Amino acid sequence: MKYFGGCDVGSTYTKCVILDENGKMVANVTNRSKINPVASAEIALGDAVAQVSGLNSAEELSYLIGTGYGRNKVPFADENISEISCHAMGVHVTNPEVKAIIDIGGQDVKGISIDTDGTVKNFAMNDKCAAGTGRFYEAMANAFEMTLPEFSKLSLNAKNTIPITAQCTVFAESEVISLVGEGKPMDEIAAGIQLAVAKRCFVMAKKAGATDSITLTGGCAKNDGLKKAIEKVLKIKVFELSTDPQLMGALGAAEYARQKGLAK
Amino acid sequence: MRDLKHLYEFEKLLQEANNELVQKAKADGGIALGYTCYHIPEVLLNCGNCFSVRLRAPRTGSMDIATYYMSNFLCGFSKAILERAIEGGYNFLDALLASETCSEMNRTAEHFELLNLVENDKFFLTFLDMPFKIADHTVKHYVTQTRNKILNKMTEVYGIDTSDAALLKAVEEHNEVCRLMTEIGNYRKEDNPRITGYEYHILSLITYCCPKSLILPMLRETAEELKTRELDEKKNFRAKIVVVGSEMDDPDFTALIEDSGALVVADRYCFGTMPGREEIKINPDEDVLTQICLHYLKTSQCPRYMSHEKVQERRDYVRHLVDEYHADGVMYEQLKFCEYWGYERALASYVMSNDYGVPTAAVDRQYTASASGQLRTRVQAFVESLEIKKIQKERKAKENG
Repeated sequence: MKYFGGCDVGSTYTKCVILDENGKMVANVTNRSKINPVASAEIALGDAVAQVSGLNSAEELSYLIGTGYGRNKVPFADENISEISCHAMGVHVTNPEVKAIIDIGGQDVKGISIDTDGTVKNFAMNDKCAAGTGRFYEAMANAFEMTLPEFSKLSLNAKNTIPITAQCTVFAESEVISLVGEGKPMDEIAAGIQLAVAKRCFVMAKKAGATDSITLTGGCAKNDGLKKAIEKVLKIKVFELSTDPQLMGALGAAEYARQKGLAK
Repeated sequence: MRDLKHLYEFEKLLQEANNELVQKAKADGGIALGYTCYHIPEVLLNCGNCFSVRLRAPRTGSMDIATYYMSNFLCGFSKAILERAIEGGYNFLDALLASETCSEMNRTAEHFELLNLVENDKFFLTFLDMPFKIADHTVKHYVTQTRNKILNKMTEVYGIDTSDAALLKAVEEHNEVCRLMTEIGNYRKEDNPRITGYEYHILSLITYCCPKSLILPMLRETAEELKTRELDEKKNFRAKIVVVGSEMDDPDFTALIEDSGALVVADRYCFGTMPGREEIKINPDEDVLTQICLHYLKTSQCPRYMSHEKVQERRDYVRHLVDEYHADGVMYEQLKFCEYWGYERALASYVMSNDYGVPTAAVDRQYTASASGQLRTRVQAFVESLEIKKIQKERKAKENG
């Protein structure tokens, strides 16, 4: 049996997926990224390889593709592909009905529309600051003295939304602390934060040409409050993926590796 | 491919505005005339012992002081030039020829005067009022200004001969640079071009930032070298693109594009070669200065001209470049806060892909963008989509016999 790997070295998490020649996922790993992308990739690849009985090292993969911000630092990779293309392919193989993605990673937000063959039709990217990204949510959860999963559910039962005016991570954190200090309900502040990020996602999705059948990928896809806010802002039901949405970049890379490796 | 003989030397020259060749020309008694806009006819600044220096601010770091004077919402190029001037980086200049083509650069030039930035007693600064239309009376106005504010001032302050004979001599030298750049640029139309976009960008910048007489021998040698340059067997790119947009003097931007798998085959940005390196044709029966001024007005592709014909002409021009240079797509780049390219980029990139069917990406960028990982991701994703479209097109053609 031949195996194919995709390694997505993100700014916050490193993900790795291994597929067999039939496209079945036989290993997956999600690790916190190290400062050194080579080390992050090595550890993730090692962990993934350990899950496959027929593999002893990443060198034995028939084809390996790197993606994410550290894509050109993946050891033994045959090539690297941008995470935009990989997320599109990852979602396409998971659910071909989905035609658009909002990918919220650790340091940027992307809107991607997908062609019928899984390639990128169009994309838009907010890469100017950390507003609305995973880093932003980490700062907000810290301000609330909560874990990320706790914070992501906080807004779900809010009766009102307190608007957050600052988009900058640093200023938004100050604004949130002031609102908490004023005694405003925490769930309503959280709803304001989710709405602000959802509006940013709206812009990216529209710029990329998303009209319907949208899904969320990246670590923030697991944020229930954000998902609800996006559905409200976009007026579209967000598709749930059957595979962990944080793995979509690595899965897309592995699928590209499978296609290219088999065509070799 | 082997590196071009003078490439390293050229790269080194671009590290400073006051580079070795500028210093040499100054030491030989040359008069350094700075400018930042295409609408200042470059050729006029090369009369007699004057030489033109198109201002850049290589290795720009913090722009805090310029931001204090100019505000956050102005383009990075205008702020970088002011910051460098405040740092003393343009003290070698003998004059700055400015135009109010855009309000941002106009404000930068104003600050040269207000803050008395150049430590040179004879230094002078002029502003040209730029027309928005090309008509008999606007051309006349432009010609009068170039005569009074540039040529007469050069004569008055530095005793420069600006007679028709002197202008024609400058045109001759300018035209040789243009001929060489065109000859070299034509290689970019080849299926597997013998020159990269990065190399061409370096050559282009050198012709703007160094005295022409000192650069010409090396340029001639480079053109000769290219005639027999051996190509790598395998193509080193996945897609060819045309780069279109605002001011661009950062060769690392082109390097970033090419590191992401594209090859830049044509450049239509401020201070690129299209326009910029077309020969100036002079009819002996007509006024020389008027013909020079008309050349710059007519060839300008600046989006400050907003009449329907000019807007359409710019789109057709880009489309023509795509066809002529066999490009797979267009990348519109815009310096953030550029007042004209903000509109142009948004509309033209839409029209180019939706009406003309040319795959197009649009990016806004900072003045120096080489370290941007996000920009690299955008460019790579665009190249990947171009490559896939190319493969699909070839596959379809094969299927259809």
